[in-house]
Amino acid sequence: MKHFIRLLTFIACIALASCAHQSEATLELTSEQDLAGLRVATVNGSIYALSLSKRDDIDLHLFNFEADALQSVLAGKTDVMVLDETFLDRRMREEYGMKIAMTGEERYPTAIMFRKGDYELADAMNDLQDRMEKDGTMDSLKNFWIEENYLDREHQTHIPVEKTGKPLKVACISNMAPISFMVGSEWYGIEPDLCRELARYLHRPVEFHLYDFSSAIMALKNNMADVVTGCLFITEERSEEYLFPNPYHYYGAAYFVKDKSAKAAEGTIWERIGKSLEKNLIREGRWKYITNGLWVTIYITILAILLGSILGIGLCAMTRSKRKWMRSTAAVYNWFIAGIPMLVLLLILFYVVFAGSGLNPTAVAIIAFALNFASGASDVYGTSLDAIPRGQTEAGLALGFTRLQTFAHIVLPQAIRRGLPLYQGQCISLLKGTSIVGYIAIQDLTRAGDIIRSRTFDAIVPLLLVTVIYFLLAWLLGILIKLATPKTQVL
Amino acid sequence: MITVNHLSKTYHNPDGSSLTVLKDINCTIEKGEVISLIGPSGTGKSTLLRALNLLDPPTGGEIIFEGENILAKGYPVHKLRQKMGMVFQSFNLFDHMTVLENVMYAPVKILKKSMEEAREEALSLLRKVGLAEKADVYPDSLSGGQKQRVAIARCLAMNPEVILFDEPTSALDPTMVGEVLSVMRQLAKEGMTMLIVTHEMKFALDVSTRIFFMYDGYIHEDGTPQQIFIQPKRSATKAFVQRIRKEVFEVHGEDFDYPGMETSINRFCIKYNIADKKDSVITLCQLLMPVYKETGDQLTVRISYSELSGETALDFMREEDNEAPARLKEETFRKQLLSICKDIIEEPTARGYRVKFLL
Repeated sequence: MKHFIRLLTFIACIALASCAHQSEATLELTSEQDLAGLRVATVNGSIYALSLSKRDDIDLHLFNFEADALQSVLAGKTDVMVLDETFLDRRMREEYGMKIAMTGEERYPTAIMFRKGDYELADAMNDLQDRMEKDGTMDSLKNFWIEENYLDREHQTHIPVEKTGKPLKVACISNMAPISFMVGSEWYGIEPDLCRELARYLHRPVEFHLYDFSSAIMALKNNMADVVTGCLFITEERSEEYLFPNPYHYYGAAYFVKDKSAKAAEGTIWERIGKSLEKNLIREGRWKYITNGLWVTIYITILAILLGSILGIGLCAMTRSKRKWMRSTAAVYNWFIAGIPMLVLLLILFYVVFAGSGLNPTAVAIIAFALNFASGASDVYGTSLDAIPRGQTEAGLALGFTRLQTFAHIVLPQAIRRGLPLYQGQCISLLKGTSIVGYIAIQDLTRAGDIIRSRTFDAIVPLLLVTVIYFLLAWLLGILIKLATPKTQVL
Repeated sequence: MITVNHLSKTYHNPDGSSLTVLKDINCTIEKGEVISLIGPSGTGKSTLLRALNLLDPPTGGEIIFEGENILAKGYPVHKLRQKMGMVFQSFNLFDHMTVLENVMYAPVKILKKSMEEAREEALSLLRKVGLAEKADVYPDSLSGGQKQRVAIARCLAMNPEVILFDEPTSALDPTMVGEVLSVMRQLAKEGMTMLIVTHEMKFALDVSTRIFFMYDGYIHEDGTPQQIFIQPKRSATKAFVQRIRKEVFEVHGEDFDYPGMETSINRFCIKYNIADKKDSVITLCQLLMPVYKETGDQLTVRISYSELSGETALDFMREEDNEAPARLKEETFRKQLLSICKDIIEEPTARGYRVKFLL
């Protein structure tokens, strides 16, 4: 109960902090020169980030997700946000009190991206695009997606693809209507539809995975993805490393600012909270991201704990072995695990070690966390066993127990009792550590929050929700471990 | 029952050096014998005991137990240990079990006795060591003496043929030594075969049927308590059994720390289990210190205790004296002193005139 009150206080503080608002006039922009001296938000890896970073008269803020950039403008931490003109349709702009101060003059050629040297796919894409331009399907596709108020429309796709065969693997780096976005487990938007057209053209099935930019590039290089989508502009630099077909469209930038004349959100605080929950959880069935992510997190955590605990037993036995080479091997292993950041270990296993094995990302994540957990668990076992005085073993042996019986009946029950709090701590830090699996395209609880955030642009509610769920999970995990512990009832 | 031939034990250190603790041990132990192993520290008493049940396996020789060489390959060591109980210096009770569970555990798990039977037996053993009412508490809440008595009961629960006691009273507060020794006396009286490593000379003398005096990795002398304590044949044995525990205080001038000396005397009496004489010794010091102070600054005070005879003495001695201080000759004062001590012996020595107060 006490923990709950603390948690609620914490949430209330964040909510209050986010409610602080400013009262100046709406920012006016007429040309890019007006950006001088302003705090400008954009997304890391985007073309705007590249061109804006060349200017030293602006204070550039780079974010991983568009939702975070939006939140920074709303919170008054930045003045203007530079993103694709398709970002935020009219309804969303009104909802957030944002307006487009100006649009950029330059248009950028945009295409989906292939691996360097994969001419087969690129040529197929070019042929397909030519055909689509001619027969008008490209125009109807663009008309369908790239226009105002696309969010009000029911999302659907009518492009049939093969069900069997070698799938065309698409890495989507942006969950952003109308370019490419998720509703439930299905992908919509102009680029997924282009990919579907390509798959149909090649008579292959298609599958979509959500990556962030750097992971997508690694996946592409390691043949774990064939296509990367996400409003990728064709630049010279990118063309050196990757292969682009002809651009399917030319997009421009929009400069979003906070519309100070817009009315503040209406209704009481409860109505606003209700509305926010509706938007983040109910609309498009978004709560399913949370429940699915929750299961993924639980699944990875529990299996990694089980596997890691067993590996830890072996590692602990090696650490205490009489043979020197065994002790050295264990020491090197522990040294390696202690020195490598969990994320790096995960990425190395996924993109290097198991790259060609066809193992699914969840299995790789379980292995990575188990390897890491084994080191900590072995340490916990060792510490707990060392805490039991040698006299206990001697007393057991002297009574006539065998070595194994002495260990199992006398030393182990006492060691478990001592080691349990340490072990529980390891498990909970593993649970929290799993929040990085999104990097290898696993949709866990954290990534579920990110997905919702990138669709609703509400940075706070999904985060708080995920926080609360992690707290509950940690608490439940503690209870579960206590229940799963062999009872130390002696006779 | 147990025959030991040419037993040796060498420890090899990682740095290549080695230490031979047992050199050549030969002995025979018959059923019903109570054997005390005595001797200076570091002569292998505990090592020998722990070699017998293979907790510290010997490196040479043989041990024959009930006709079988227990050092032979494949000998079921745990079966041997079921018949050869051990009581440790540090009790080693199982901290996660109640007193009753400690006693019941091995019979239930090893001898496969039923819970009811094991409980009945455990309770009767606890009654025997006087701890039946502590059956359901955890060892944490017991005193050292109580813990050791539980350990003895736990050992007896396996119905062993011989019990090895490894310094069973060394870790105890002196006030608790008695309760453990009385349980052991009772066992000896009932005919239990016992091997005891001990520093309690009086106890060894009273209870043992035989004494092994261990010295330098050998059983240096082996005999009845009478032979070992009263007529030792070998000089090392004699020096050990007749050794006198003592503490010397050099008193120099006004700055001498007298309260500190009282503390030291206190500790000495507790350490050698003569706490009953503590008050007399301190009263004597309080009476005599002013007497000697009147006549000069330099003084040597010595408290001594012979473990074997139980004799305690307090000596006052000064180099420049050739007789006792005049005050000591006054009849009333002397009477007062003799009401505290048994006797006063005066004698000139090479290091001055000594007045010995026997307590």
